[in-house]
Amino acid sequence: MMNLFRWWWGILLTFFLLALVRVFLPLPFANEIIIFSIYTMGCSFLLGRVGFISFGQPAYLAVGAYGTAFYLYYFGTNPYIGILLGILSGVVISMIVGAFFVRLRSDYFALVNLALAVIIFYLMEKVLAKITHGDNGLWFLANMSSTPVLDLGKPSHFFIFAFLVALALWTFYKYLDDSLFGACCLATKINEDKLKFLGYSNFAIRWMAFIIANTTTALAGSLYAVYLGFVSPAITHPARAADPVIVTILGGVGTLYGPIVGAIAYTGMKDLLSGFITNWELFIGLLLVFIMLAGEKGIWGTLEPILKKALFRKAILPRFQESGDKSK
Amino acid sequence: MDAQLLISGVIFGLSIGSIFFLLAIGLSLCFGLMRIISLDQLLYYSVGAYITYTLHVVTGNTWVGVFGGMVAAGIVSFGVERFVFLRIYERDIAFTMITSFGILFAGVGAIKYIWGLIPRPVPVPIDAQVGILGTGVPAYRLIVIGISLLVYLGIWLFLNRTIIGKAIRAGIEDVEHVEGLGVNVYRLFTITFIIAGILSGLAGGLHSSLIMVDPQMGLEVLALAFMVVIIGGLGSIKGTLASAFIVGQVISLGSLVYAPLAQMAPFATMLVILLIKPTGLWGSKLLKR
Repeated sequence: MMNLFRWWWGILLTFFLLALVRVFLPLPFANEIIIFSIYTMGCSFLLGRVGFISFGQPAYLAVGAYGTAFYLYYFGTNPYIGILLGILSGVVISMIVGAFFVRLRSDYFALVNLALAVIIFYLMEKVLAKITHGDNGLWFLANMSSTPVLDLGKPSHFFIFAFLVALALWTFYKYLDDSLFGACCLATKINEDKLKFLGYSNFAIRWMAFIIANTTTALAGSLYAVYLGFVSPAITHPARAADPVIVTILGGVGTLYGPIVGAIAYTGMKDLLSGFITNWELFIGLLLVFIMLAGEKGIWGTLEPILKKALFRKAILPRFQESGDKSK
Repeated sequence: MDAQLLISGVIFGLSIGSIFFLLAIGLSLCFGLMRIISLDQLLYYSVGAYITYTLHVVTGNTWVGVFGGMVAAGIVSFGVERFVFLRIYERDIAFTMITSFGILFAGVGAIKYIWGLIPRPVPVPIDAQVGILGTGVPAYRLIVIGISLLVYLGIWLFLNRTIIGKAIRAGIEDVEHVEGLGVNVYRLFTITFIIAGILSGLAGGLHSSLIMVDPQMGLEVLALAFMVVIIGGLGSIKGTLASAFIVGQVISLGSLVYAPLAQMAPFATMLVILLIKPTGLWGSKLLKR
């Protein structure tokens, strides 16, 4: 019972705080944060656990978003099926693409993904303009039928849905961290020769990790599509390709709650700073360089040890003293 | 496709390729010697273009502007090298990539702050047309091609005929050995970084008359410049020249065949080349991971 509580308390506390965000801050901001943290989670998993840096996450975001958008615009009306189809298209595309990409080394990997993002951008903007309506985008907000329990057309109901999805996702990633697969991911990042020697296939592990991470990104894409009610090629624009990498590093690479902290900080800074000064890039860029030079821990990576110390000092220290007394 | 269109298309492709070559050579040298991926070269490109614009407004001569742009880009790159890169040379490649992206992002913000968001025009310094096989070709594009070939020659002479250049070439092969011979490699790194910055500034200055100067210009060519380096093979100068001209031609002739291809075709080319030959066409084996 105690172990179960210890396993869950971090997630529950985080999502309790996230629910407070909904209470105290405007709804669009809360929705944006949740979707953005899911979007960043994929990138954070790839960069922190598997050691792949990807400058092309918008490609998979677009795959999910367009998978949902095509269904809702042309075929059906149920947003839940749309999201499922978005996830499915994410799985299929990342399975095909990943089989080729994960063979490359990490810096080439970043650029190949960027190339994929650019290709998808021009594919959606120019080549398939008849189906995607080019820069005008697909508008399907009116097409979505209202569903019985949670009506995704309403932003307040959408928040609850996205919140539950994020809760499930973080539980899943925490489970992955504890599992053998998570350990193998870390091992393939640190020493692939040794892992091969132990009888594991580096390729299969990287491929699995790639599929999991980019399906998460595709899920974020389909959530964006349903939330905004329209999709345009702008979501995969190459100039925004580095956003998830920035947020990952802002929050803390490879930490479980880094993406949430990073997304809150990034979205908040963007909203706050762009109110005062027009060039928030200057600030974000300098902050990024500072974080990298100061030891690449990010906001959560710096806060986590301090918080743990503050929270556990009373719980842990007395126990140590007790055992010390017994040995005397 | 008629011959006139083809000739002007080829010249257009060569001039675009020249700009990419000037941009990519710095990236390639930096990777070869220091094993860093320096995305901030694109910042020096923007700085070169903006200084060209400003000096053109002040003096009325674009060539003065291009020269000033090179000097300014060199100064900025020296500052960045001293304050940031000197601390991170030993780190792995992904680390330098992210840090330099931060510098690029901050630089774009600073440019927006100084020059504003509006795109600025820079007039072409030479309006004359030159006839090649009965086709009128803008003389400025030919000059751009000539300058890039001169730069290639200059870099080749520098690397093969001077002692510093030979040390840099040896450093690309094996940095530790060069250090063991008593060469101050950090001085070599600084020299290479400044050369790269100056060439990026030159690329920006020359490119400014062909396009509009706007704050996002660095981010727009980022992907293309990297693609040139990757196709040619990181660290190879000959490969960079060849792949720059290949990419220029793919963009220019691709757009003649089917307009949307102009932006997509180079990336598709890169994907195919990387999947067949993961180190690029002339790439060497990578020493440090």
